[in-house]
Amino acid sequence: MKLASLDYMEEVKRRSNADAAYLELAKGNNESYTLVLEAEPAQGVMETIIVGFDNVDGKLDQVWLGQRPTQFTLSAPYGVWVDILRGKMGATKAITMRKLRTQGPFLQLLQGANRILRWVEILRTIPTEFEGSYAQYNLKGQA
Amino acid sequence: MVTMKAVVLRGAGQVEVVEGARPQPGPGEALIRVGYCGICGSDLEAFQTGMYEAGLVIGHEFAGTIAALGPGTAGWQVGDRVVASDAIPCYECGPCREGRLDACQALTMVGVTHDGALAEYVCMPVRGLHRLPPAVSLRQGALAEPLAVALNAVRRSRLRIGDRALVMGAGPIGLLTLQSALVAGARMVAVTEVEPARAAVARRLGATAVLDPARENVGVALASLTDGLGPDVVYVCTGAPEPFRDAISLVRKGGQVFVVGLCVAPVEADLMSVAMGDLCIEGSLAGRATFPAAVDLIAQRRVDVEALVSHEISLDEVPAAFAWLTAGGSGAVKVLARIGGEA
Repeated sequence: MKLASLDYMEEVKRRSNADAAYLELAKGNNESYTLVLEAEPAQGVMETIIVGFDNVDGKLDQVWLGQRPTQFTLSAPYGVWVDILRGKMGATKAITMRKLRTQGPFLQLLQGANRILRWVEILRTIPTEFEGSYAQYNLKGQA
Repeated sequence: MVTMKAVVLRGAGQVEVVEGARPQPGPGEALIRVGYCGICGSDLEAFQTGMYEAGLVIGHEFAGTIAALGPGTAGWQVGDRVVASDAIPCYECGPCREGRLDACQALTMVGVTHDGALAEYVCMPVRGLHRLPPAVSLRQGALAEPLAVALNAVRRSRLRIGDRALVMGAGPIGLLTLQSALVAGARMVAVTEVEPARAAVARRLGATAVLDPARENVGVALASLTDGLGPDVVYVCTGAPEPFRDAISLVRKGGQVFVVGLCVAPVEADLMSVAMGDLCIEGSLAGRATFPAAVDLIAQRRVDVEALVSHEISLDEVPAAFAWLTAGGSGAVKVLARIGGEA
């Protein structure tokens, strides 16, 4: 499924909420997030994609397409997200190096680093199609 | 005893109109017959918290006409139409001697530490008076003080011609900061505001975009307005704590958060982002030095103060206005008490 499509986000929710290790790390978390995947026309990614989700006591609750007010907003060019999902760049390193720009309490975000890293591992298990020239890196995923 | 009507703060949630003694001007002072006086957000804070001394006559945004003069007031005439800086410096301390009167170590303020101008008359030191030109009415002049505050903030901030700014909050100070930033040469000024009536005024006054943080992701919207960078300067012009916290994450790296609004509640700050973002946080109080510019910009119609006036009331209606203004959802922008009027 296409990265950051509604189907993809629903699958993110399903897999996250079924992962005991993630739920243990996320327990008590009630944050909301916006993820901005910025267009890269030169790479064939023509439109910026914006998705969001929120957590209720660590479980993903709502997922959505488009922008809403959220506690955190994470923004990066589409290719940075692809690099993170391919394991070429660590998510927390992307945050500290400002490859992934964050809006929201920075320290609070980093305090949840283990949760984020586990979450990215979950995302890597989802069969994922990328846009434009990034299609060569599509993830086969796991059932 | 010659008497006058005045609005007196009795304690938290208690203001009343009383008949009391009319003040007499002392040396270096003028007795001013108040034409108009605005209700400021800080007056409402005082009403809600009772943070000023009980018995104080409140009000500091005013314009009027000199009715009498004390000794040592050469150069001033009865009948002069004036506005007055609400900040009264000592002129003796270190910052005062350096010319930084707003940083006076013994600063007092009319309507805060001295009896103020929600009254038929107020006494003020003539050193803080500014004459109004014929092009500026007393009604408009009553807004010179908040405009001076906004001009002082923009002048003190790091804003440069061609910069992009965000003003958080479209109350009177926010709307005047918006206009001041545009006069100072900002190429883009966005405003955040949840109250529709205030948002509409911000649009009329030239805001590039007006964003509702309750309905949209301000960070995403600002990214599209600033090539993904964020604004160069964020002016926090509200009394709510959330915008102070958000400003740090909205400003561009190396940018400035400038605090103009007075937030009584504690603010949880992400100071790690301040260090990592190479940010500057600064604030300013009052605007004594910018009063002449405020008066001239009103006279030149380069700043529209009339657009802010949502309600004009009588002095007797002030206590009721305090109640509905603090109840929330009033839709008011600036409420002016018409006391002596233009006469």
